[in-house]
Amino acid sequence: MSRNRILKSAHLFAGVLILGLLMPAQPIESANRKAVQRKTAITSQEMSELINTLVKKELSASGKKLSEPVSDVVFQRRIKFDLTGKLPTPNEVTFFGINPDPEKREKLIDDLLASDDYGRNWAIFWWDVIISKATEVRAQLMKNTFEAWMADQMNENHSWDQIATDMITATGDVRENGATALIFAQSGNSSEIASEVSRVFLGIQIQCANCHDHLTDKWKRTHFHQLASFFPRVNVRPVRDKIPRSFEVIEKKSRANSPLRRIDEIKKNANKLLKQYDKNNDKKITRNEIKRGPIKKQFNRLLKLADTNSDNALSVKELKNIKEPENARRFLTEHYMPNLDDPSDRGKRMDPVFFLTGQKVKKELNDQERRAKIAELITSNENEWFAKAFINRIWYELVGEGFYTPVDDIGPERDAIFPEVINALSDHFINSGYDVKWLVESIVLTEVYQQSLGTGDEDDISFAATRTGRYRSDQLYDAITQVLGVEQSEETDQPRFRNNSPRGQFNLLFGYDPSVAQADIKGSVPQALFMMNSPTVNKLLSGNGKTRLSRKLNEFKNNEDLIAELYMMVLSRDPSEKEMKISLEYIKETGNRKEGVEDILWSLLNSSEFLSKK
Amino acid sequence: MSFYHHQNIQIKSGRVTRRNFLKYVSAGSILAGSLGIRDLVSLQAEELRKNKKAMILLWMRGGPSQFETFDPKPGTATAGETEAISTSVPGIQIAQGWNQTAKVMDDIAIIRSMTNKEGNHQRATYQLHTGHVPLGALKYPTLGSSLAKELADPLNDLPACVSVGRTRIGAGFLGVEFDPFIVQNPGSLPSNVSNIVTGKRLNRRLGLMNKLEKEFAYQGGRDIVEDHKQLYKKASKMVLSPHVKAFDIASEPESLKKAYGDSKFGKGCLMARRLIEAGVSFVEVELANWDHHNDIFNRSSTIINEADPAMATLITDLKQRGMLDDTLIVWMGEFGRTPKLTGDSGRGHYPKVFNAAIAGGGIKGGQVIGSSTDDGSAVKDRPVKVNDLFCSICHSLKVDPRTENDSPLGRPLPIVDEGEMVKELFS
Repeated sequence: MSRNRILKSAHLFAGVLILGLLMPAQPIESANRKAVQRKTAITSQEMSELINTLVKKELSASGKKLSEPVSDVVFQRRIKFDLTGKLPTPNEVTFFGINPDPEKREKLIDDLLASDDYGRNWAIFWWDVIISKATEVRAQLMKNTFEAWMADQMNENHSWDQIATDMITATGDVRENGATALIFAQSGNSSEIASEVSRVFLGIQIQCANCHDHLTDKWKRTHFHQLASFFPRVNVRPVRDKIPRSFEVIEKKSRANSPLRRIDEIKKNANKLLKQYDKNNDKKITRNEIKRGPIKKQFNRLLKLADTNSDNALSVKELKNIKEPENARRFLTEHYMPNLDDPSDRGKRMDPVFFLTGQKVKKELNDQERRAKIAELITSNENEWFAKAFINRIWYELVGEGFYTPVDDIGPERDAIFPEVINALSDHFINSGYDVKWLVESIVLTEVYQQSLGTGDEDDISFAATRTGRYRSDQLYDAITQVLGVEQSEETDQPRFRNNSPRGQFNLLFGYDPSVAQADIKGSVPQALFMMNSPTVNKLLSGNGKTRLSRKLNEFKNNEDLIAELYMMVLSRDPSEKEMKISLEYIKETGNRKEGVEDILWSLLNSSEFLSKK
Repeated sequence: MSFYHHQNIQIKSGRVTRRNFLKYVSAGSILAGSLGIRDLVSLQAEELRKNKKAMILLWMRGGPSQFETFDPKPGTATAGETEAISTSVPGIQIAQGWNQTAKVMDDIAIIRSMTNKEGNHQRATYQLHTGHVPLGALKYPTLGSSLAKELADPLNDLPACVSVGRTRIGAGFLGVEFDPFIVQNPGSLPSNVSNIVTGKRLNRRLGLMNKLEKEFAYQGGRDIVEDHKQLYKKASKMVLSPHVKAFDIASEPESLKKAYGDSKFGKGCLMARRLIEAGVSFVEVELANWDHHNDIFNRSSTIINEADPAMATLITDLKQRGMLDDTLIVWMGEFGRTPKLTGDSGRGHYPKVFNAAIAGGGIKGGQVIGSSTDDGSAVKDRPVKVNDLFCSICHSLKVDPRTENDSPLGRPLPIVDEGEMVKELFS
């Protein structure tokens, strides 16, 4: 570390100490009513030690052990990115390095969990989880609403069962209630809500059973459609006269005059109708036989739907088999399992049953009651998959490898690796009252989390090393703007313009679905072009004008100091001796200090190390 | 190791599927480990030359009215103000305004009996791009990506699939590798492709980066570093490649530019021809603003002035260069429009009957396939579904529509489910 750096940092260090004295101590648990009510859970310290023991036991059975623990420098970058989505500043790196406190890692974890960025980071993560599979593109318009809502849930540490319940039962304007995201993202469609609720909250991909019994698992079509029967009364509709436009999630009321109701009436009363109207007793109703009433007005339409032999008359048989217009099915307030052989058939009416436990509910429930019921069944302490789906996701995001892969394909039909570990985590997470911060802290305190990266070879033993992966696009965007010293401009929440904001554009280019295995996430040519060859980035890393680099060029006259500073800025570490040598030689060869340094900053920013978790 | 990676990249970038690769290996040279990537390429070089097939999708975003395009109903209440004009093929009439296109009708087949059920822009756009209705979490690849995977030459400097416009349906489960390369301003170099530093300096930077990457490679990032290096090679190849000029129409003769039209769509079509010439497999060019809920006669006349010269010139241009037989052109939108006019002279969404126009790619031009009823409210004969159209596209490009790709859960999914190709197109 350069002398210059230490002096500056020490100065700042003193400042922070004074600031710390002036700030009133914050109680750790806020008094929020929804915050987790802890039961008899063990502490996250105890949990992490239990995990260490269990993982080591299983590793040693195959003659393996954990990798080396990571250095402070790597730990700091890893934990800050993972918990808050932000890059440590050079000053933070320096402080952390010189801080002699043996418990500094634990304290840093506490600080990061208490920072607002923690909630923001995970809110964006959950948005990516939901939006990557959304069938409703317009869901984009509630991005900000969802992220603000979810950030609050996370920061106030609402329990995961509470958050899940809120999302499953949400109603109201999608611009006002962030909890409506999962429902809105499926346009309120009962089958699609069932698929996503199962995938996100249970980690079970039951949607395959939408059209056929699952090929490899035990799920049948009935299971899927019984789950969908909890949601047929969800309705998503535009909010009238609202600018900017919005949508609301409300209950679909069964309508007395819906076209389907009328068709059902006609089917049921076919004989009566014939008796009433068939004046000439030819067993058919013709137009002339009807003198008045709604049937007269609708007669042409009736013919179109029912007159199969095109004789412009309707027999009882035709009335009983009257087709229903397909677009009329949106009025249905029950879920029907489609008849795959005959799309004109409404299908079989299904009743709500929870497929994992076979629990049934009373039939005549309204929308809120149905959704509250399925939320209760899903989040029940008896249902281990609710806890495990969440644990598997968070563990995968932090350690780089899940107990189950892909991360959202778990359940009773799958085998976990290290089953003892996830079982223990699941028991205690349930006991903790689904305390999210407790879980995150338990994981990041483990030696499993705090060990070095594996080599990436296929024969790497699971959990004997952490695995690298790409940062999510918002994390990268924040890191790049931080490195290059760009103030993040106020972001508009106008959905129409959102994609045109610099962050929106960046997300279009770098966004990926966090449920996809990291191994399958590859960089793309347009991404590389943006980083290496875009006028935007290139201008910002120029040594001319009011850029951060041009300030640094003036601030650090010594090339060694300057190179160390650049490494600290971009990679949060000091350069190795070899890297220092390569960089110094490069400046010399270029014969132009400014140009050489620009190229070094370019190389660091474009390096895979900058783009990857480590 | 480097061989492994190289091979990996080649396999992933299409052309050679993993299974095919194994087939090649086992068929010819089981000389344990001695087969390099060059061998592999020469193994299939012949095949590469044979298949120069490519496709241009002219995407009419918003749902073009069949009555104002290629299925006019002159003299009926349905027609409104729209007249019909004759074409170079006796007996085939199309809507007024399509004067240039009328002259090349010999090369065009019109399908007037397209029929579908999706009347929502978003869902129909997805279906007409992927061949599948949106279904829960599964993200199907856009046809361009599926075709690029089958057709593209991995050694080409340019991306295999290029898209002009705002249709952001990507490669889905095929992964970003096959994502369409999006062009914002057709006719000029795309963003981030033109040199911002000299080629020499870019190479120097890449050299420095590769040297500095060794530390991370050593710390466990070896595979990532290697993939990254290959990716940057590909991207910088594009920046430094002379072929990237294919995006830029500046060097084309003024008369030709004028013939295509000085519009975004005209430039896009000219660029599409240049890209296909340079080895790109699939180009989509979008023409937006077909969603005419009111004032349809004035509005369609404006947009036809943009569409007509570009489409007609594209066909002629490809033909003159001897490229038409290998290049399939498909003109279509997400659905048609209602026969009945609204009070303010508009038409609503109508998926039940719509039309599509097809040229090149070995299809038989100068014909009309299927028809709609006199009032245009229903298909009269020979209904053609979206899957049938997609099977026909595959047939023209010599791609098996049942070619399977694995979903993220490992389920093999064909490019097109069911459906049959429209035989008349090829007879």
